[in-house]
Amino acid sequence: MSAIEPTLALPKARDRIVGRGWIVALALLALVGFGAWIYQLTQGLVVTGMRDVVSWGMYIFTFAFFVGLSAGGLIMASAAELFGIRSLRPLSRIGVMTAAACVLVAAMMIIPDLGKPARVWELFRYPNWRSPLVWDVIIIVVYFCFASADLIVMTRRGIAPGRRGRILRMMALVGLPAAVMLHTITAWIFGLQISRPWWNTALMAPVFVVSAILSGTALVALVALAARRFGRLELPDETVSALRKLIITAICVELYMVGADYVTILWGNVPSERAALDMILPGGSWQWVFWLEWIAGGLFPLILLSLPRLRRRPGMMALASVLVLVGVYAFRIELVDGGLLKPLVMLAPGQSMGSFTAGQSSFQLIGNYYPTWVEFAITAGMMAFLALLITLGYRWLRSLEAGHGAAEPEGAGG
Amino acid sequence: MATEQKREPHWAMVIDQERCVGCWTCAVGCKEINNEPLGVWWNRILTASPNEITGEAAAPSPAAPASDNIDVPHGVFPALEMDYIPVACQHCNDAPCLRVCPVGATFRRDDGTVLIDYERCIGCRYCIAACPYGVRVFGWGQEKRDPDFTVGYGRDYRTDGGRLVFTPDRPTGVVEKCTWCVERVDEGQQPFCVDVCPTGARVFGDAGDSGSEVAGLIEQGGATRLLPELGTEPRVFYLPAKPERSLS
Repeated sequence: MSAIEPTLALPKARDRIVGRGWIVALALLALVGFGAWIYQLTQGLVVTGMRDVVSWGMYIFTFAFFVGLSAGGLIMASAAELFGIRSLRPLSRIGVMTAAACVLVAAMMIIPDLGKPARVWELFRYPNWRSPLVWDVIIIVVYFCFASADLIVMTRRGIAPGRRGRILRMMALVGLPAAVMLHTITAWIFGLQISRPWWNTALMAPVFVVSAILSGTALVALVALAARRFGRLELPDETVSALRKLIITAICVELYMVGADYVTILWGNVPSERAALDMILPGGSWQWVFWLEWIAGGLFPLILLSLPRLRRRPGMMALASVLVLVGVYAFRIELVDGGLLKPLVMLAPGQSMGSFTAGQSSFQLIGNYYPTWVEFAITAGMMAFLALLITLGYRWLRSLEAGHGAAEPEGAGG
Repeated sequence: MATEQKREPHWAMVIDQERCVGCWTCAVGCKEINNEPLGVWWNRILTASPNEITGEAAAPSPAAPASDNIDVPHGVFPALEMDYIPVACQHCNDAPCLRVCPVGATFRRDDGTVLIDYERCIGCRYCIAACPYGVRVFGWGQEKRDPDFTVGYGRDYRTDGGRLVFTPDRPTGVVEKCTWCVERVDEGQQPFCVDVCPTGARVFGDAGDSGSEVAGLIEQGGATRLLPELGTEPRVFYLPAKPERSLS
């Protein structure tokens, strides 16, 4: 213990207490989530807010969100290697570590959504190759293995700097397409479905890639800023500036694509396609996702990151990153549940819900979904577990560097 | 003749909307034979304006129909219209649910029946998202019945190499739906909804046999299918009600 302690020590005594408290709080939250899942296992998914019309809820849009988060780090590290973007190099290790953690927790997020989690092994025993879900499972496994391998190459001792650089460039050649495919296939789970006009657009895959880069970059920025504040990360101004520009560009491209989709649907005015959009646009019953996506997660971060007075303050950058994450989460909600709320065959009395409450209709015409405490607890637990993995991963990287000595800085080999 | 008898049938169902009176006997019969718990309906009778299923809807209602009413006319008073569309699994030739099922729990027999293997389903509900007709239901929790005892067929039924496609108490956490009463059809009987329909609006049979009643009804023309533009090719056909019979 005492041998490791000095390398893990945080600079100030107060920060050390904060650091310990942070880890304990995250671990407790993760445990609460685990407990909620055990409760759900005993009762069935009836304890969630999902029913037969809106049959996918918080677990699935959080899964899509986590998959997106895993993009930023690996794409950043790969782009830094492939295109020689020096300003992003200092974030390579943190980025890849974050990516591995996110994709791992994304895979875990699927488990509480399954009605029969004990049968999950059947995905490998009886795969149906026509199902996008099978391909998504494969790319998630591949992506996690790849990010882990990348991390090992980056951190392993005894590799000559020049050789390490060559290996990393070779790996980046695989990493970048793998990241694009991860988000593309996840998008296709939704985008290929003819039964859901809201999902069934060729834009789905590109929007997923862009929103993944957006949320992933925001997460890496948040981790880097926290590491500078509480850890010992040296974050050069040019790196912060590169992150800032990447986030601004990604916000603009994402909202451009989503906006182009809105215009196509509004102008075409096909009832089955407008059904979902009318609920999401201002005035609809789900308009809060629109405001979160376009204003809180779009306009505000753009202002915070662009105005010269504000953008130099690290607190503003952190706030903008948090807002971006909120906005992308709202986009995932809009996307997943927007497709489910109004079924194609929407005729009275509707679909049976699958559960019975005395005195209430068993039928539902237009979907209605509000997550229960079980879903909030499990999702919060997963988010806490992700934050815990990233925190511990960062400390592990710091301890490695301390062990290496200051002679070999991050991103060695450039 | 011997080879003719060995040929696998291609089951199809025809529902005559002209005859359907919207009494829900087929839906209640379905619940009884399949022991469906409270809140679960494999078969429902939807109300629409005439020809709505073919995409030529009459003037749309100003407000969305209430979901706690089973008979909801369409249009604006006094020009009201209403047709009944009994909807259960359409047993599509190109079923989206079958394509998306990651573990092949949903499968099609050679006779065209789409079934779910309750021992294989992992409960991911991708099929519910993929089905355009909203006919799949999920076992959200402990099944409740009132009165609380098992009714209907009452035994497990396995087919296609032992796959469990019917069991009176479905496990929690799997997707279920209409099986076209495969356990009855395999013994030469009709699906229960066909047997109990008081007006004979439902006809079930071998569409591959040109002499059968279903084949005749399909071939005589005028039969429509739900959402034909999707190309799912349902094996359930509807004979629309004659326009002059609609309420006005």
